Amino acid sequence: MAFILEGLDMTKLSMARSGRRMVGTAALGCAVFLVGCDVALRANDPDIVVTATSAAGAIALKNGVIGRLNGATAGIQGPDGIFPFGGLLADEWRLGDTFEQRITMDKRNIVVTNSFLAGPFRDLNRTRVEGRGAIDALRKYSPSPATNIALMFALTAFSEVQIGETFCNGIPFSDVLNGTITFGNPVSVDSAFRRAINSADSALLNNGGVASEVTRMTSLANVVKARAQLNRGLYAAAAATVATVATSFSYTLTFSLGTRDNQNWALGLNAGRYVVANSEGGNGLNFVTAADPRIVTVTLPRGPFDSSIPISWIYTTKWDRSDPVVIASGIEARLIEAEAALQAGDGVTFLAKINTARQTRVDLPNITIDPGTLATRADLLFRERAFWMFGTGHRLGDLRRLIRQYGRGAETVFPTGTFVTGGTYGPDVNMPISFDELNNPNIPQTPATQLQSTCTDRNA
Amino acid sequence: MIYATIARLTHRPFLALGLILASAGTLAAQVTVSGRITDKANGQPLVGARVVVVGTSLTAATNAEGRYRIGNVPSGPGQVRASQIGYASATKSTTVSEAGGSTIDFTLVLTPYSLDEVVVTATGDQAKREISNAVSTVEVTEMVKTSPIANMSDLLVAKAPGVQVLPGNITGGGARVRIRGNSSLSLSNNPIYVVDGIRVISDVNSSSIGVGGTNPSRVNDLNPEDIESIDVVRGPSASTLYGTDAANGVIIIKTKKGKAGRPVWNAYIEQGMIRDENKYPSNYRAWRTGSSTASNATVCRLSDQVARTCTVDSLTAYNPWRDIDASPLSTGNRKQYGMQVSGGSDAIRYFMSGEWEDEVGVITMPAAFRERLLASRNIGKVPYEQWHPNALRKVNARANLSANVSEQADVQVNIGFVTSSQRLPQVDNNTTGLGSNLYGGPGFKNNIITPGNGVGVRNNLGYRLFTPDEFFSETVNQDINRTITSGTFNYRPTSWLAARVVGGLDFISRQDGDLCRRDECTPFTAIYRTGFRQDNRSTFFNYTLDANATASYRMGDQVGAKSVIGLQYGKEKFNRNAGYAENLSPGGTTLQSGSNPSVSEATSISATAGFFAEQNISYKDRLYLTAAVRSDKNSAFGTNFQRVFYPKAGVSYVISDEGFFPKARALSSLRLRGSYGASGRQPGPNDALPFFGTLTTNVDGIDSPGLVVSSLGNAGIRPERSAEIELGFDAGFADGKVSLEFTYYKKSSKDALIARTLAPSAGTAATRLENIGKTQNEGIEASINAGIINNRNFSWETTLSGSYNKGKIVSLGGNPPSRGTTTSDIEGYPIQAWWLRPYTYQDKNADGIIAWWAPTTVLGVVTQDVRNELFVGDTTIYVGPSLPPAEFTAYNTFDLFGKKLRIQALVDAKVGGYQLNGNERIRCQSRTNCQGDMDPKSSLKVQAAAVAVRQHPLATQYGYVEKTDFIRFRELSFTYSFSDKWARWFAADRISATLSGRNLGFLTKYSGIDPESGYFGTSIGVVSDFQTTPAPTYYTFRLNVAF
Repeated sequence: MAFILEGLDMTKLSMARSGRRMVGTAALGCAVFLVGCDVALRANDPDIVVTATSAAGAIALKNGVIGRLNGATAGIQGPDGIFPFGGLLADEWRLGDTFEQRITMDKRNIVVTNSFLAGPFRDLNRTRVEGRGAIDALRKYSPSPATNIALMFALTAFSEVQIGETFCNGIPFSDVLNGTITFGNPVSVDSAFRRAINSADSALLNNGGVASEVTRMTSLANVVKARAQLNRGLYAAAAATVATVATSFSYTLTFSLGTRDNQNWALGLNAGRYVVANSEGGNGLNFVTAADPRIVTVTLPRGPFDSSIPISWIYTTKWDRSDPVVIASGIEARLIEAEAALQAGDGVTFLAKINTARQTRVDLPNITIDPGTLATRADLLFRERAFWMFGTGHRLGDLRRLIRQYGRGAETVFPTGTFVTGGTYGPDVNMPISFDELNNPNIPQTPATQLQSTCTDRNA
Repeated sequence: MIYATIARLTHRPFLALGLILASAGTLAAQVTVSGRITDKANGQPLVGARVVVVGTSLTAATNAEGRYRIGNVPSGPGQVRASQIGYASATKSTTVSEAGGSTIDFTLVLTPYSLDEVVVTATGDQAKREISNAVSTVEVTEMVKTSPIANMSDLLVAKAPGVQVLPGNITGGGARVRIRGNSSLSLSNNPIYVVDGIRVISDVNSSSIGVGGTNPSRVNDLNPEDIESIDVVRGPSASTLYGTDAANGVIIIKTKKGKAGRPVWNAYIEQGMIRDENKYPSNYRAWRTGSSTASNATVCRLSDQVARTCTVDSLTAYNPWRDIDASPLSTGNRKQYGMQVSGGSDAIRYFMSGEWEDEVGVITMPAAFRERLLASRNIGKVPYEQWHPNALRKVNARANLSANVSEQADVQVNIGFVTSSQRLPQVDNNTTGLGSNLYGGPGFKNNIITPGNGVGVRNNLGYRLFTPDEFFSETVNQDINRTITSGTFNYRPTSWLAARVVGGLDFISRQDGDLCRRDECTPFTAIYRTGFRQDNRSTFFNYTLDANATASYRMGDQVGAKSVIGLQYGKEKFNRNAGYAENLSPGGTTLQSGSNPSVSEATSISATAGFFAEQNISYKDRLYLTAAVRSDKNSAFGTNFQRVFYPKAGVSYVISDEGFFPKARALSSLRLRGSYGASGRQPGPNDALPFFGTLTTNVDGIDSPGLVVSSLGNAGIRPERSAEIELGFDAGFADGKVSLEFTYYKKSSKDALIARTLAPSAGTAATRLENIGKTQNEGIEASINAGIINNRNFSWETTLSGSYNKGKIVSLGGNPPSRGTTTSDIEGYPIQAWWLRPYTYQDKNADGIIAWWAPTTVLGVVTQDVRNELFVGDTTIYVGPSLPPAEFTAYNTFDLFGKKLRIQALVDAKVGGYQLNGNERIRCQSRTNCQGDMDPKSSLKVQAAAVAVRQHPLATQYGYVEKTDFIRFRELSFTYSFSDKWARWFAADRISATLSGRNLGFLTKYSGIDPESGYFGTSIGVVSDFQTTPAPTYYTFRLNVAF
């Protein structure tokens, strides 16, 4: 068959000039396009940083870890930081708004699809995982002062103990190295506390530099370690750990207008989404009516965020927008020592330690009467802890310890009865791991239609 | 002069840069074919008819006298075909003599359906018969004159089968467009838009400031008045050559072009009013009798009565939406004035237009609150933008020039400019917005509350927390300046070779502003009370360069062939600088008037380079085979993935042209078609990269720079690849008076990109895009067009169309199901379908009230309370898809009184979709004002829904996910064309007047206000009917004058 260009038989026509020119131009065009392609496809985005291989980069990674912990605890909302969110499950805060994620948390009926669950768990793990990355970078590019490395280990320990106090048994701890995830297996909360103790010990071993900073890091690591030991029931060891921590010590997460707001302020005073609870569900402490100087409360002018909630109009002024949040302190150290004394049956030391803490404020009188029994001393101790460390992520762990270590029933320490917006309180005493964790292949998979927790159990 | 200049330039080789063409010399004696094309019925010339020398690249359009001229036609035997929209095409064989060329005249016959209609494809204009896919064409020019079309959303809704449009519900609100369902789990499911050959920005929810509801769409920047036609390319089988990003379909827009002849002016004036005709729910409150006046004013819910804490003895209901004191609804208005002119010579033609448009929406600040505002601020006039917080003002201008540089070359330059100013109200999912406060109000009018400043009390007139004088004082505006510029250069050096270069830029300057003056907005937080200002300035650049060359040749007498090769480059660049300040000075409105300012910067860049080759073979001009491949490289692909290839193959067979096909008037034409093709969706610009983000952190009281891990990256990331098989036929009946198009398709996305959730325990980025999913959409589309009656005094034409799409997730690639509170991604079911725990209920004690009693647990044994009347399931069940799978439309046109009066009516229905009535859900769960929670006489069904969501620990929203089937009277218009005598009296050629209405009513069983009510977000676009004010009704009058 002849090959014809409209009216032209190509089999008979020389392609001489025009053909050569056409092919040549085409080839040139293609070559220009292909060579220019790579240049034209370069897309450098100034928004991102791809390396941190310098001393300044290592310090920036360290600061980033502090920022992560800052967010995970009291620096974000929607999902909320673990300090206010855990306090909602406990008896510190009451629901003030209409978000279902907060309603079910306050109501102790948490579904694993609660979209606020994954955030704080992920952020606490970011503190831990990115902390490891920062340690590697600091060792390589900025090894001195070692207090920076100690801080990273201490904050890792803090995140591990906070995870253990907040979440159910069946907590995986995964890791990331060079972009590759090594998935962890679910472990008990006790294992989480053991990890925390090890991390705190690493902080103590990797400390060094200016003396005052070394002392600060040592105190931080010791308080966090003792907190983990307390959770494991190692009361005497915990007291020994914090014996050298000065009562005046505190380690704070700080906020500023240029960086991030304290969300205890944003959720509370600013928006009324959270209001301070008062004898919530019968068992809760009277954080408002106690009129304790450690928790100053005043009435919100227009009530809580959701006007349909028939509760007293209250809020806390404890935190303003950029107020720091104490995550470990000498006060906590004294209370740990008090608990050790309580466990040892030493009423004198018990009261002395409590009063040592109280004597740091002029508006708190000494407690002069020993309650006398283990149970009543525990009531006093846990009340003191609750008022001293309100809104700092300790209360949920304490309520769980009352069940786990002091034999209390869940319905005697957590809020119970009729819930304010309808229905009754549920049975939850901790937060489940979000169903997002099902993306961890080490977690047993459930059928798609089941909304089961990844927890191995929901015990305290 | 221009002609001469351009003609000189065409001889310079640099204009051929990048093209696969050359100035090939004349290969055979070439002559001219010319002639005239007229309407057979009246002998009038047909302007703009297309004439093509079959089997060559030679084409021309007729001028104002209906004349055409084609040069460089090879001598010898050949065929010439003439076609025009609305007419049956005609083909004539001729032998072109070397001596004098040839003169070929045509007379075309009106017919509603022709396979020779021209559609725009990636390689240029093609007759429908040659294309192996279904392509829907919307002829816009006449439609905008006779229909209530205010924006692009109106133009697209219910116009093409398989194209599902959810219109915006406020003035300036954008629409959600889905073609053949959702196929991407994590990327956008929006189609792309091509205007005059260049890709344009078509972002939905295009704003950096949220108002709680629908935000503008950049698609609505385009002016329907400037558009000649829209072709909808529905799936990958047809969009292959549009490359990576075209998998969700392509909307191809062709703007109006000038036609040779004297200047023709078209002026139009449109005036309209906008009314909210929706039926809003009342707010309820139940009361008890107490022992005092104070205790009488105590709410008593049905659940309280069940618990025996009180007894409901009275019920109040109040509908603030229809109370003149409280209602934020007024009559909005719409004005549109425009003028267009087109004309020119055979050498240069022009089309120019200008338009001014102004629309003020129905949402307003009620008089009572205006008075309160005046008193509180001690001013004499309410600022207009606070009085009417929803408005759009827009000015459009366009200039399109076409020039025949020589017989071998022509050039087109198109420039469109729009400047607009949009105000958006605080609505929908917004605590400081209208819906939250009015849907959430108590069941009575005079609710006295303590205002936010804590001083005294005030009457909220049925609003929950905040009132219109407060929340409408926060003004959100968006200013747009946009230029879409494109140029097309066509070069036909020989009769067999044609080349085309298209280049252009879509540039947008967008300013988003949010201003809350000190002491003027809601006292929601301290920040609101002291005022704030947000000012975000963005620029968008979208570059397109497209070049292709087509060689047309014949292999023997019966086989024609066409080879196309092309290159394409596209680049998108986005920059934003944002400023924010709070605690403004009294009267201050700028960033510097506030304290604590902050700034941010954002950049996004993406580029694609691709090439393609297409081979077409035709046999006897009735069988057309197409094979093509496109390859793309994109800046977003991972380093381990370099290039993607998309193949395509198709066949179109006009079997009715065969001799063996029975020649029957009943079945006058039949075309069979089938095609296979692939296309893709590109990942985000940085999805392949591991990187850190910056996080300034306060460390021990000092703001310090920080770095955090933002992305683990994915070096192997590649585009999401969709492949589609499409089969169908087009049939013409009764000499083309009735036509039927039927299409079946099956589309699979194999490397579906899923934002895979990374286990939180890994302590890293929340998600990572991975090519692990597979989705599928399968469906049918059909449309029937029939000229049922065609008399001088009465004619009736109807178009019925329908589509059904069944979408599902085939595989999540081992990823666990993505489960949310109400929607989930689960294998075997549609993307983001509704999954909830169901419940059952029974009024055991026949007291007319559904009661829930908690089970008791003793020693770990759970015992149900015998009084309990509501039971929630242990597992979630599939309720239904979020996107309606079926859509039907009926478009009827009636011409009366010698075609002086035209009546058009559009009715459409969407069937099978489900939606969460989130409005009623929150009213029952949190607002203490829903009927199911308050009214003892409410049905058990609504009570059960309220009990399940409010009282039961699992808080299931099952009772509020409802079927949204509806049938809607979408458009109705009456157009009267005045007689020529009248027109001449006004020194015009034609005058017509149109009275029209949009969104005139609907039928549904959905218990919310409107089944299309809501706003949408995310890439999937699940609609949230949450505290939304549904779309209003438009009534417009339009006058068209041509002279």
